[in-house]
Amino acid sequence: MARAKNYLDQKLAEKLRDRKYYTTDSNPEFLKEVEKIGQTPAHMCYQCGTCTGSCPSAPRSSYRIRLFMRKAVLGLEEEALTDPDLWLCTTCYSCTDRCPRDIAPTDVIMAMRNLAFRKDIVPRNFLQTVQLIYKSGHGVPNNDVNRAARVKLGLEAEPETTHKYPEYIPGIQKILDHYKLKDEADRILAKGE
Amino acid sequence: MAEIKKNEEQPKIGVFVCHCGTNIAGSVNIQDVMEYAKTLPNVVVSDEYQYMCSTPGQGKIADAIKEHNLTGIVVAACSPRLHEPTFRNATKAGGLNPFRFEMANIREQNSWVHMHQPEEATEKAKDAVRIAVAKASKLEDLFPKSVPVEKTAMVVGGGVGGMQAALDLADAGIKTYLVEKTPTIGGRMSQLDKTFPTLDCSQCILTPKMVDVFRNENIELLTYTEVEEVQGYIGNFDVTLRKKARGVITPAEAEAKGIVGGGCTGCGDCVAVCPVIKPNDFELGMAPRKAIYVYHPQVVPLIYTVDFDSCVKCGLCVEACGTKKAIDLEMEDELITVKVGTVVLALGYEIFPIEKKFEWGYKNFDNVITSLEFERLICASGPTGGKLIRPSDGEKPKKIAFVLCAGSRDNTGVGKPYCSRFCCMYSLKHAHQIIEKMPGAIPYIFYMDIRSFGKMYEEFYYRIQDEGAKFIRGRVANITEDPESKNLYVHAEDTLLGRPVDLEVDMVVLAAAIQPTAETEKTRRLFGVSCSQDGWLLEAHPKLNPCGTTTAGVYLAGACQGPKDIPDTVAQAEGAASAASIPIHKGEVELEPYFAQCIEDKCAGCGLCVPQCPYSALALVEKDGRTVMQVTEAKCKGCGTCGGFCPGGAIWMQHFATPQIVAQIDAFLLGGEQ
Ligand SMILES: Cc1cc2nc3c(=O)[nH]c(=O)nc-3n(C[C@H](O)[C@H](O)[C@H](O)COP(=O)(O)OP(=O)(O)OC[C@H]3O[C@@H](n4cnc5c(N)ncnc54)[C@H](O)[C@@H]3O)c2cc1C
Ligand code: SF4
Ligand code: SF4
Ligand code: SF4
Ligand code: SF4
Repeated sequence: MARAKNYLDQKLAEKLRDRKYYTTDSNPEFLKEVEKIGQTPAHMCYQCGTCTGSCPSAPRSSYRIRLFMRKAVLGLEEEALTDPDLWLCTTCYSCTDRCPRDIAPTDVIMAMRNLAFRKDIVPRNFLQTVQLIYKSGHGVPNNDVNRAARVKLGLEAEPETTHKYPEYIPGIQKILDHYKLKDEADRILAKGE
Repeated sequence: MAEIKKNEEQPKIGVFVCHCGTNIAGSVNIQDVMEYAKTLPNVVVSDEYQYMCSTPGQGKIADAIKEHNLTGIVVAACSPRLHEPTFRNATKAGGLNPFRFEMANIREQNSWVHMHQPEEATEKAKDAVRIAVAKASKLEDLFPKSVPVEKTAMVVGGGVGGMQAALDLADAGIKTYLVEKTPTIGGRMSQLDKTFPTLDCSQCILTPKMVDVFRNENIELLTYTEVEEVQGYIGNFDVTLRKKARGVITPAEAEAKGIVGGGCTGCGDCVAVCPVIKPNDFELGMAPRKAIYVYHPQVVPLIYTVDFDSCVKCGLCVEACGTKKAIDLEMEDELITVKVGTVVLALGYEIFPIEKKFEWGYKNFDNVITSLEFERLICASGPTGGKLIRPSDGEKPKKIAFVLCAGSRDNTGVGKPYCSRFCCMYSLKHAHQIIEKMPGAIPYIFYMDIRSFGKMYEEFYYRIQDEGAKFIRGRVANITEDPESKNLYVHAEDTLLGRPVDLEVDMVVLAAAIQPTAETEKTRRLFGVSCSQDGWLLEAHPKLNPCGTTTAGVYLAGACQGPKDIPDTVAQAEGAASAASIPIHKGEVELEPYFAQCIEDKCAGCGLCVPQCPYSALALVEKDGRTVMQVTEAKCKGCGTCGGFCPGGAIWMQHFATPQIVAQIDAFLLGGEQ
């Protein structure tokens, strides 16, 4: 664990905290779990940065997939799972297409998200998305502005989804219920209130 | 040899168990195995030692033979591939026939694979020892055959590696054939501009060597020639060569034909009139050539070649050549056979088709080129006279990105998993050339690691860094193009900064991976040489025999054995030449006596075995009024195909005889009882 110096002023204490990496910070089980869930040899990463270089998210954020690969290898569980950047991957799989070590960095991120979820660490907007999908079958439901735009383009107002066929919504709900996703989302969101 | 001597004496076997430091002793209980050996039939002495291969270890064997009158030796240790010869020598030193030795591999086949199961490993070691003792009890004296060695050598491939090997062999007084498939010697090195780390001009150090090869009395240079067929074995290879129709004759050939003052003088008059234009491979297609051509003015031999695939046989060149009468448009390929004692393969490498990694846009974006193309563009004798220009508009580039590990160290199956070993260094060289030749231009080197491991190489890196090359640690993810300006955007992460990079450059140079040439596979098969998973030719032992192969008499030089720069290529070539000259200087080689023997009393002369032999070592002969099979021992590889096949059991496989193998099986199944 990073050594904290005891200053009375907590802000100062945080600022002057020892930020070295100590091997005792590592949880070797973390890498094993990530690899088990992600089904990809994360420990073979040689830190070339191709993943970050490919990532559409990286140029506009502090998200660095390569650093998550490193944290997986080092077993820095706490640091990886509490990092809000974990949720910035768009799952476009560009990094996976190009990784010269044939690793799927995307699946490493997905595995970490699963592990974070187990600890109730999920951004609120993700949970709200779950609720929206449960309700409408859409993460981003259609709205009037969109409908008008669609009509103007000569399309039907509603797309060929649950918007047009609401009778399929119960099916989606059944899947989400099976994984208790909605319940969990409700619970965590309620807790935060 | 008609009758087979059976071993009638009472066997007395000595068993020696090696610790191999902790390699074996770490999981096998040596004492236990040694004590167990004493309980086996015919074993009269059993001992152990930390390193059986050492002088004291070998001494134990020799001493025990004398003291106990042993008839057979078993050493339980590492692989016979490593130490069978060692222990055979020790057996011989004790006064026993060296083939009275048997090895039990309890390292590679046991302690290493069962590192964490000491009890099971110990039991398995006992099994191995018991089986070896059973065979040792039935071993016989064998006597290797000596065969004379032809006093000539052949080098296949005329790059810097092949040239060096040929020169060394020739200087050692050995007549050497140098076979090169293209019209000139020189290989890849003649395509380079300067060479790291000394920055000598490549042609300047290579051309004199090419001329030396040409002039050397002991070298018979066969350019535009390919290996067609190989027969025979060490000391006596019969190699059939295809001399491809060149369409042009040399002055010597003209003289032989009685054409006075004729033959190609390299004047080039024919080129001027030839109407056919083709891309010049030597310039990687960036310059034209005619159907009658030379790659460049320094070719050796300086004689033109007609490319019959594109020649339209208009005859204009024949007219232009005039009284020299050098051109023969009706020339055909010629097959010749030469006999050589030993062979060096120096087949070189080629560039990986980097367009397969389509994220970098090679062949799609005009201004993405490979490093070999860069060498030609920066070279004063190249297609642009040494001016580095953008293929899209002929402009001088100001910012040039170098993409290292382009397809190397890549496990995706599309690239190559290995390090290509010279791209780091030549990319540093390229950065230097840009700084030197093009004031104001900046080279950016995208790298994962700079591997500057050779003598004066790290110093070279230091120098280029000091000269102002920009280093970005990160592998290039992809390259995009501005369709208007044809400028390129290089996307990567600066992994030291932890930030994505989006660098606009005028040109990108890909340090593409290298791979064995397309013909390597065919040629290595002709010579019976193995290859590694990646297709590179396989050395006999990576550390202890890096120039030899498992085919006796065939040696390796240069990049065909694995990526190698010029210093390493030349060093290996000298090693290969030295190794190839040893059997020739000795004048004879001993063949392992593992050949088949015909037990003539049992042979029915049916001849069914003859076509089975993959090495054509068998024939039917008349003997004492009967037809029997006969083995050409020098050709037999002891593979056992015939021995296993003979319906009458008339074939005796020396050292792997049926009674010996049955004894081994019994020993395993019956657990030591006989
Ligand atoms: C862009 C680039 C830059 C480089 N720069 C440097 C440098 O600055 N310094 C340095 O030390 N190294 C450099 N190298 C490496 C250098 O090219 C090699 O080390 C060297 O060429 C290896 O020589 P070789 O004789 O083994 O193979 P090659 O040069 O490939 O020669 C092989 C020869 O064998 C012939 N051949 C192949 N198959 C057959 C066959 N079946 N029958 C008959 N002939 C055959 C080929 O036609 C060829 O002539 C560079 C490489 C590249 C790609
Ligand atoms: S691309 Fe692959 S090897 Fe390279 S840093 Fe990313 S995960 Fe690691
Ligand atoms: S899958 Fe995620 S991490 Fe990978 S490139 Fe796409 S957004 Fe980036
Ligand atoms: S073939 Fe004739 S014309 Fe052509 S270079 Fe040779 S000598 Fe000259
Ligand atoms: S030599 Fe350098 S650039 Fe080439 S593969 Fe090896 S590490 Fe990569």
